[in-house]
Amino acid sequence: MVATTDTIDIFLQPLGIYILALGVGFLIPLVYRVNRNSAILVFFTALLIMIVIAGLNLLAIINGASVMDIETAGIKPPFSINLRFGLFEGACVLAVNTVALLGAWHYLPRLKQHAAALLLYLILVMGINGMVMTRDLFNLFIFIEITSIATYALIGMERTAKGLAAGFKYIMATSIASAFYLLGTIFIYYQTGTLNIDDIIANQQLIIGPIGFIATLFILTGLLIELKPYPANGWGLDVYETAPGGIASLISVGVSAGVFFALYKVLPIMDLYLTSIAFIGGFTFLISNFIGLKQENTKRLLGYSSIGQMGLLTLVIALLVQLDASAHIPLIIGGLFINHLFAKAGLFWLAAIVDRKNIKDWSSIAKHPSLLILLCILLTALVGLPPFPGFWAKWELVMLLASEQLFGWITLILIGSLLEAVYLFRWFSYARNVESSESVEKPAEVSVSFLQQIPIFITGLLLFAIAYVMSRFMNVDNQLIYFPLMAGFAIWLIDRLNVRVKSLIMLLAVSIGGYFLTKDLEGINKLFSYLLIGGGILVSFATLYRHDDRKGFYPLLSVLLLSLATLLRAQTSLEFFFAWELMALSSYLLVMLGRNKQNCDPGIRLGNDQKNDQKYNQINAIKPALIYLLFSLASAYFILVGFAVSYSATGNYFLFSLGDSGTSTTLAFSLLAIGFIIKIGGFGLHIWLPEVYAEADDDFTAILSSVVSKAGIFGLIIIAAHLGVRADIGLNPAYVLGWIGILTATFGALMAVFQEDIKRLVAYSSMGQLGYIVTGVALMSHLGWVSAMYMTVNHFLFKGILFLSVAGVILRTNERFMYKMGGLIKNMPVTFTFTMIAIIAMSGVPPLSGYGGKWMFFNALMDKGWYWIAALAFFSSAVAFLYMFRLLQTVFLGQRKLEHRKLREAPVILLIPQGILIAIIFVISAYPKILIDVISTAIDPWISNTLVWKGTAMQAHYGYWDAPLIMAIIAGAWIAPLILLLLFAKTMKVQKVEQFNIVYAAERPRRPEETHFAYNFYAHYDRAIGFVVRPRATAFWNAVIEWTHSFAASLRIFYNGNGQTYALFIIMYFVGLFLVNGGLAL
Amino acid sequence: MIVEGLGGWLSKVGNFSLTLLIVTTYGLLMGAFIERIIAKVQGRIGIPYRQPFINILKNFFKRTAISHGVMFYLGPVFRIAGGIGTLAFVPVIYGDEMFSNFSMAGDLFLVIYFMFFGQLGMALGAGESGHPYSAIGIARGLSQMTAYEIPFALAVISIVIQYDTLSITQIVAAQQGGWQNWTVVTNWVATLAAMLAFLGMMGYSPFDIFLAPQEIPIGPPTEFHSAYLGLMQLNRALFGATKLVLFMNLFFGGATGWVELMIKTFLIYMVAIVIGVAFPRFRVDQGIRFFFKIPTLIGIMSIIYVQMVLTS
Repeated sequence: MVATTDTIDIFLQPLGIYILALGVGFLIPLVYRVNRNSAILVFFTALLIMIVIAGLNLLAIINGASVMDIETAGIKPPFSINLRFGLFEGACVLAVNTVALLGAWHYLPRLKQHAAALLLYLILVMGINGMVMTRDLFNLFIFIEITSIATYALIGMERTAKGLAAGFKYIMATSIASAFYLLGTIFIYYQTGTLNIDDIIANQQLIIGPIGFIATLFILTGLLIELKPYPANGWGLDVYETAPGGIASLISVGVSAGVFFALYKVLPIMDLYLTSIAFIGGFTFLISNFIGLKQENTKRLLGYSSIGQMGLLTLVIALLVQLDASAHIPLIIGGLFINHLFAKAGLFWLAAIVDRKNIKDWSSIAKHPSLLILLCILLTALVGLPPFPGFWAKWELVMLLASEQLFGWITLILIGSLLEAVYLFRWFSYARNVESSESVEKPAEVSVSFLQQIPIFITGLLLFAIAYVMSRFMNVDNQLIYFPLMAGFAIWLIDRLNVRVKSLIMLLAVSIGGYFLTKDLEGINKLFSYLLIGGGILVSFATLYRHDDRKGFYPLLSVLLLSLATLLRAQTSLEFFFAWELMALSSYLLVMLGRNKQNCDPGIRLGNDQKNDQKYNQINAIKPALIYLLFSLASAYFILVGFAVSYSATGNYFLFSLGDSGTSTTLAFSLLAIGFIIKIGGFGLHIWLPEVYAEADDDFTAILSSVVSKAGIFGLIIIAAHLGVRADIGLNPAYVLGWIGILTATFGALMAVFQEDIKRLVAYSSMGQLGYIVTGVALMSHLGWVSAMYMTVNHFLFKGILFLSVAGVILRTNERFMYKMGGLIKNMPVTFTFTMIAIIAMSGVPPLSGYGGKWMFFNALMDKGWYWIAALAFFSSAVAFLYMFRLLQTVFLGQRKLEHRKLREAPVILLIPQGILIAIIFVISAYPKILIDVISTAIDPWISNTLVWKGTAMQAHYGYWDAPLIMAIIAGAWIAPLILLLLFAKTMKVQKVEQFNIVYAAERPRRPEETHFAYNFYAHYDRAIGFVVRPRATAFWNAVIEWTHSFAASLRIFYNGNGQTYALFIIMYFVGLFLVNGGLAL
Repeated sequence: MIVEGLGGWLSKVGNFSLTLLIVTTYGLLMGAFIERIIAKVQGRIGIPYRQPFINILKNFFKRTAISHGVMFYLGPVFRIAGGIGTLAFVPVIYGDEMFSNFSMAGDLFLVIYFMFFGQLGMALGAGESGHPYSAIGIARGLSQMTAYEIPFALAVISIVIQYDTLSITQIVAAQQGGWQNWTVVTNWVATLAAMLAFLGMMGYSPFDIFLAPQEIPIGPPTEFHSAYLGLMQLNRALFGATKLVLFMNLFFGGATGWVELMIKTFLIYMVAIVIGVAFPRFRVDQGIRFFFKIPTLIGIMSIIYVQMVLTS
């Protein structure tokens, strides 16, 4: 018995992997001849046991077993195999073998056709294992060769002309690389007399002089070439493009992993080249992602992404070694590596089973929810969004680099990541796009069996699991950050229920969850919890007005609302960032669920060229959603770096210690503020906003504007509180912020004036109103903050009403252009009344709530001495009247269209939340003290209270404001003439007349279309000052996009597909490295 | 206590009603007077002084009462509520508690913002009539409003800095003690900017396109008649006079008695009239551009002036 256990123990040593691979490898052809299925069984058993071996040994290491060094056959290396199995080796081997097993499952239909294929696959896996584990330079060479040959043979299996050519280029390139490597090995052996890596490292002082230089350079070049650095990587891309998914995934993640591990092993003797390696990695990462922008071939796209990711890993490992921060290797390298491994493998398999060459044809999976979800999960992981391993790794990485002041590298990494997100999520956009107008012929539907999806599904699960483990390692104790995801998952499980039932369950769940998440909060956070959670649920109630199924809407909405709750709860910057990214992701997906089929006329926007008009032809939420995601990611990256800057100064993640950032305060504040400003849609960075608000679902726009935008305000107030107030140094960024805010207000208002589309009008209006709030926060005074918070509450109230009433109008008229409406007051009097009250509250005209905000804001501006900003605030609030009147006039007043005569009032479900909001507006208008006291109490801990009350009147340095009295006087002034008029007019018969019964310059109006003055309403205004609102920001960003793409295209010049050229590049790459590292000085 | 408080409020309402009556009557009389002046310039005799009163009475008792809907009906109510309310927030006679109205409820900022109340309500009422000329007039009027708002806001900011208060009563108080203390002397730059804005505000030529009084009926009142029109005519007198009182308070030292008030407001009004009869009408976009140029520049200079010269 004991003996058997021992045998098993011996067999389960890491060496068992090789014995198994070779043994089974010889066995398979024999068994295959007898019975094919048995051979497959043996094959899978072998792969499974490899995983078990790796897993058990890794477990032993984690539990404290010592690192295993294995030498075979009693002879010294290089004549035997010399292996090491430590923590890193174990993790790497386990991950690679897992992917290999899943990949084999995926690729089985082809693999099982040849015994040789099964054999080669095993050998390939063994080769990778060897590359990871061996401690001998020559062994390493052997394993590289084994891997290359096995790969080559497998690529050739498909026997397509392109595949064979790619395979040939592959073997040629890797041969050259191996030759370099072998030469290096020989020289090293010459100098040190050993091939054992540990001995070499121990004796590295022997590697000197020109020979030593050349030796290390040869080894380095050999390994680097295998990692496919730009521009010597055309051969690799061809392989990715042509190899079948099962093989490509193994090359992309498996072989690269082996080579990368090999590089890691020899890095200790590469001190001289660390900077070069970092640059090569960084350059490859950046350039690959640039070129990826121009790529439409699915697999080649994945190839660019793979090469980019390996470049990133190369960069990071070089930096970590250079910084002597090997303690971070497990989390950063491990996280990035695992993330890449599983996500990329899954994507390759997905690409293979969907089998659409061009990413534009991926719309054929638009109606496959399971495939879409898989694609989304894998892309999300790859981009490094929460909760996946890449997110944690990126966080650690940026924090580490920031504390070492390496901001250049941070910038490079984040730009690269953003570019990667662009092309990856563009792919998702195509996949999501039901009515892709790009391809003329509709691609046939994809039929994918459930079984084929399982390996991909497992990689997704593994990503979740590993991410969770990583977060535990990072001491993220607060498990509540996962609550939104779990709630979303739970709601998703009931997504098949009736829409009424599931939406009510979701509202209930979010109410309860939100309550428990936010009940302990206090101060500003508490205040925002009322707005974001309470308000969010109230506005979400209106979503019940739709009767369609809305698959996916409610799960995502619950994630969104609950992530807002966790955002408010966040104690550390990491929790904050996690919730922030989750919010961005869920709202992106929600926007994407928006409008698809709205057919709109080629609309006309004043004074624009024709090009701009064409976008109305393709009204579709897909593209705005992508832009939204990209701006959200950019915003998140600014926030990330901002936190990192602060972390580098304070050394911890707590939000309350942001204030101790010392000299970094200004930088941290600026970066964070830019991040939040992007999210709010600040001036110049606003171009995502109108598109997104216009194309998202009408009820979701209400949530987006009245609730989600407040998250940005919350962030701004939080950083202002922690950084702005505590900082004793003068905070000039606050002044800049003040200007950004007021310019946002002014231009938002001006642009709203010229919109024909009702949703765009309200969207620009929303942007403008948020501008005041930003300036209010930037004031950094008690009154300024009270005004900002007051305006925030008010904005929530009136924007909630406006977007919901707009939703009602669009629902009934099925139009979005205002000139196609008119006279709807007759059909929708309640909606009109609510809209009118909301607009008065927005305009700031007394007596409604808007006036208080404007009054406090103006007083605070005067107190601060920001006179120019005050003047612009005056102007922009005057301009706001233009669009506000236009909205009411052209939609509800004027001449009603004949086809609208029988429209009904908006659904009650839409009206109820509006009514509640109206009631709140009146309470706040009549007695604002109740709101201001709450706000003031929340702000008091940060800035000492300067409010003075005299009875019901509020006193500021300059002016005073007695809201209840004003309300009473205006009510009196309004009622008295009404009575007068009633007295005079009621005594006579008031005759109600039809709409055409007007004094019309002696002519008789015939049709409402000719009489309703609505289209191009402010033509004269446009003629006067319209030139200031020509879409410059849009033009700028379009130019950025254009130039980026042109640049990316020009980078592809090296890829001519010619094997000889590629070989030349490889040689020249070596020469280049030789020269750059001082080869001439020898 | 409560009864006393209530009594106090009641007497306030009574006092305000008196103010309202005086100002409205004065506004109507002055309107007639101005019409006569314009007529003289144009070689006509003009209307008798009683004409505005007759007009209003006539309109109130006219028989035809047509309504296009609730909002149409409420439009004139909003309009005159705006006029009454604005007057309520402006202290009329300095140092006389009786005619300080309800200025304790709010400051200059309140008055400026409340001016929109009537305009907005009126615009909505006119909108429901379905008459395109109403909407055109409002669109033009609002556009012009945003334009003259800029020099006006700058001038207001300038004097707020100068007097360090937003309270109209205190602004008037600071100008007491002789003409040399009036804003027009101490801060002539701001006054100039504000007076240019005033031209736009009063809606006389060259800035009267949004009403287009002579050729075609255009502007908000187009479709209104009978009692509605009566309310509007009442408001035009009241609101016009209130604006004059406001300008007098801000820039010309206010008034300590009714006679002083009448002389000053009349002279201020004459500025708009003289320029109005002398200059032809701007197209609306020209008018807008006008305010964005010189008046805005003067407004900017007024703030610089007050910062460099007055407060340093």
